Amino acid sequence: MTTTSLAVDVVGLRKSFGRQRALDGLDLRVETGQIAGFLGPNGSGKSTTIRILLGLLRAEATTVRVLGGDPWNDAVALHRRIAYVPGDVNLWPNLTGGQAIDILSRLRGGVNTTRRDELLQRFDLDPSKKARAYSKGNRQKVALVAALASDAELLILDEPTSGLDPIMEAAFSACIREARTEGRSVLLSSHIFAEVENLCDTVTIIRLGKTVESGTLAELRHLRRTTISVILDDTTADLSPVPGVNDLAMDGQRATFTVADPDLGLVLAELAHFKPRALVSTPPSLEELFLRHYGTELAANGVSVP
Amino acid sequence: MVRFILRRNWLRLLIWAVVLVGMIPLVYESQRAAFPTEADREAYASIANTPSVAALTGTPYAADTLGGILVLKIWMTLAVTLAFATSFLVTRNGRADEEDGRTELLRSNVLGRHAYTVANYLVVGGFDILVGAAITAVAAAMPLPFDGSLVLGASLAGLGLFFLGVSAACGQLTSTSRGANGLAAVVIGTAFVVRAIGDLDGTGTTPGWISGLSPIGWAQQMRAFGENRWWPLAPLVGGAITLCAIAVRIEARRDLGAGVLPDRPGPSAAGRFMMTPFGLALRLQRASIAGWFAAVVVMALLYGSVASAMANLLGSNPVFAAVFGPNGSSATKGVIALLVMLNAIVASAFVVESALQVRVEEASGRAEPQLAGSISRIQWAGGRLLLPIIGSALMLVVGGVVMGSAYGASQNDAAQVWALLCASVIYWPGVLVTAGVTVFMIGVVPRLAPSLSWAFFAAVVIISVFGELFSLPTLITGNTPLTATPRLPVGQFTMPPILVLTAVAAVLWAIGLVRFARRDLAQDA
Ligand SMILES: Nc1ncnc2c1ncn2[C@@H]1O[C@H](COP(=O)(O)OP(=O)(O)OP(=O)(O)O)[C@@H](O)[C@H]1O
Ligand SMILES: [Mg+2]
Repeated sequence: MTTTSLAVDVVGLRKSFGRQRALDGLDLRVETGQIAGFLGPNGSGKSTTIRILLGLLRAEATTVRVLGGDPWNDAVALHRRIAYVPGDVNLWPNLTGGQAIDILSRLRGGVNTTRRDELLQRFDLDPSKKARAYSKGNRQKVALVAALASDAELLILDEPTSGLDPIMEAAFSACIREARTEGRSVLLSSHIFAEVENLCDTVTIIRLGKTVESGTLAELRHLRRTTISVILDDTTADLSPVPGVNDLAMDGQRATFTVADPDLGLVLAELAHFKPRALVSTPPSLEELFLRHYGTELAANGVSVP
Repeated sequence: MVRFILRRNWLRLLIWAVVLVGMIPLVYESQRAAFPTEADREAYASIANTPSVAALTGTPYAADTLGGILVLKIWMTLAVTLAFATSFLVTRNGRADEEDGRTELLRSNVLGRHAYTVANYLVVGGFDILVGAAITAVAAAMPLPFDGSLVLGASLAGLGLFFLGVSAACGQLTSTSRGANGLAAVVIGTAFVVRAIGDLDGTGTTPGWISGLSPIGWAQQMRAFGENRWWPLAPLVGGAITLCAIAVRIEARRDLGAGVLPDRPGPSAAGRFMMTPFGLALRLQRASIAGWFAAVVVMALLYGSVASAMANLLGSNPVFAAVFGPNGSSATKGVIALLVMLNAIVASAFVVESALQVRVEEASGRAEPQLAGSISRIQWAGGRLLLPIIGSALMLVVGGVVMGSAYGASQNDAAQVWALLCASVIYWPGVLVTAGVTVFMIGVVPRLAPSLSWAFFAAVVIISVFGELFSLPTLITGNTPLTATPRLPVGQFTMPPILVLTAVAAVLWAIGLVRFARRDLAQDA
C-alpha cells in the first residue's frame, strides 16, 4: 500500500442505479490530518459517495483511493483504519445502546472501554437502554460513540449531527477537533453551514452527482463577492457608474453593494472620492456560496436568491 | 383510511385472493377427472375414511359427491392458508407499521387513535368475506349445488374472520411484528393439531369432541355439501368481534409502540460471544428459536402419541388395510414417515426465516455499519447463516428423538428412538437445499428474496404433503427437497439422493454467498 498525503482521493466518480444516474463525475479529496466538509442538496449523492468509499457500493470504472487502497477490493484491511457513522442510524431494537456500540467496535477491530466510557459521559448517553427506547438524537450518539471510540485514521461521517441538540453539537465539534489534533482525517457530510465553516479546513460542494466547487474555505471565499456597506455624507452621491460595483442598493446615507474580490482595490480607491464615514465589509458566508450554486433549483421552488 | 390501506395492499390482497379462489376449479377439474362416475365416487367414499386423511384434512363426509370430495381435498388447505393470509395482512398494517414508525405519522394526522386499526380490521375482514363470496360463486359455477357452495364460502370466510380477531389480539399483545406473526401462527397450528386429534378420535363421519375446541373444527362442522349447517358460523363471527373489541380496548390503554409487557433496562456492554456474527445472530433470534424448538417438541410428542393411537386403531380396520396393504404395521410406518416429514417441514420453515434475517439486517440498514467494520461479507453472512445450519440439524435430532421416544414408549419398543432419529436426520440435506434457495435469492435478487423464498417453501410443502391428492406428475412430486429424501421408515435408505441434495445445497449456498459478496448492498429506502 502506498502512502500519499491524501486520505481520500476520488476523480470522476460515476455510479448509476438502474437507469438513474446518481453520481456523474464527482471529485473529492481529503488531505491527511484535515477535516473536509461535504455539502450538497438532498439527493445530490453524498451518501452514495460515502458508501462507495466504504466498499458498500461498487464504483463504476474510476480510481477511488482511500488511505492508499481500493475500497472495494481492500475493504477488510482498510476498514480497520476507518470509522463510519451512517446517515440513518438503525440499531437492533432489542439490544441496548452499549451492546450495539461494543458489537460495532468489535467488528472494526476492538473495544477501547476507557475511551468508550469517557465518550458516553461526554455525550451524556445511557448505554443500558434498549435501542427501541432511544430518541433519534440518542441513536445518533450511539453511532458517534462507536466511531469516535476507535483509533481509526479516517473518520467518515454522514450527517453526524442530525438530531443532536446544540450542547451535544458542541461536544461533537470538540471531539472532531481533538481527532484532527491527533492527526486523523475526517470527511464530514452536512447540511449545517455553521458547522462546516467552524470545523472544516476544506469544502467540497456537489450538485446532481457532480463536484461544482472545492477548495479551502479561504480560497472559496476569495473567488466570490464581498458585500460592502458604506455610510456616505453625500446623500446625492451615485455609485452606480463606478466600475466593479454590483447589486447596488441605496437607503438614505447607506449604500450596500457587492464587489468581486479582484476589483476590490479599484472600488475602494474610487470610493475614497465619496468621503465614506463608515464601512463594513462582510465576506460571503458558506451559505451564500451554497445558495448561489443552487439558484436554479431554488428558483424553481419559488425562492428568490440574493 | 380504508382507501389508504387498500391502495397500499391491493396487489397483495389480489394475489392471495387469486391463489385461494383459483384452487377451487383446479382441484374440482382434477377430481372430476379422477372420479368421473357415481360408482367411482362411491368406491372412493368407502375407502376415504383413513386416519391420515382424518389427521390432515378432516373427517370425510359426503365423499360420494363431487362437492364432498372437493371439500375433503381442498378445504383444509384453503382454511389454513386463509388463516395465515389474514394474520399476515393484519400484522402488516398493524404491528409492523407501528414498529417502523409509520403509524406515528398517520396518527398525528388522523382524528381517532383507533381509526387506522379499525380500518385495517375492516379491510382484512372485507377481504375474508370477498374471498368467501368468490369461492361460493366459483364453486356454484362448476356447477356444484348452490346451497353447499354458499356454506363452503361462508365457512371459510367465517374462519378467516375468526383469525382476524386472533391476529388483532396478537398484534396488541406483542411489541414486534415477528412476535405477532409467530403468536398467531402458534394459535393456528394449535387449532389445526387439536382438530386433527379430534378427527382421529372420531367415529364414522363424526369427529371426536376434541375438535369442538378448535375454531377450525367449528368451521368444518358447517359441512358444506353435506348437512350444510349454519349455526357454527355464530361462534366464529362472535369470536372475531369479541377479539377485535378486546384488541381495540388494549390499544386504548397502551402507548404507541409498546406491547403489554414493558421494556426493562439491559446490560450496558456486550458479552464476548455476542460480538461475533454467529453469537449476535443467536442473540437476536433466540426468542424465535426457542419458539421453533418448543413447536418441534410439542408436535413431536403429539405426533408420537397420535401414531400409537392410530396403530391400535389400524389392527381392526379393514378399510384402512385396503389402502396401505394388508400389513397393519406397514400402514403405521406410512403414517410415521409422514409425521417425520412434517417435522422436517417445520425445520425448513425455520431455516427460511433464520436465513432471511441476513436480508432483514441488510434492508433495515443495520448491515451497513457492521460491514463497514473489518470483516468480509462472506465471513459476516456465513457467521449468521451458521445458525440455520446448526439449528436445523438440532431441530431434526430433537424432533426425531422426541417423536421416537413418544412412539417407542407407547409400543414398548426403545429401538424406535434410533429409527426415528435416523428417519428425521436424513432430511438435513433437503432442509439445507431449501435454506440454499433463500441464500441464493438473497445473493441474486435481494429485494425479492423474502417473497420468493417463502413461495418456494410453500410450494415444497404443498407438493410434499398434498401433491398426491392433486394427482400431479411424479416428476414434480418426487423431486422436492423433502420428497427426494428417502421416506423412512417406509422406504429404503439409499445414498444417491442424499448426495445429490447435498451437492445442490452446496451450489446454491456458494452462488448465493459469492453474489452477496460481489453486489451492491441494497438497503430499503
Ligand atoms: N439504492 C438506490 N437505488 C436507487 N437509487 C438510489 C439508491 N441510493 C441512492 N439513490 C439515488 O441516488 C441519488 C443520490 O442519493 P444520496 O442518498 O447519495 O443523496 P444525499 O446527497 O445523501 O442526500 P441527503 O442529503 O438527502 O442525504 C438520489 O437521487 C437517490 O434517489
Ligand atoms: Mg444522505
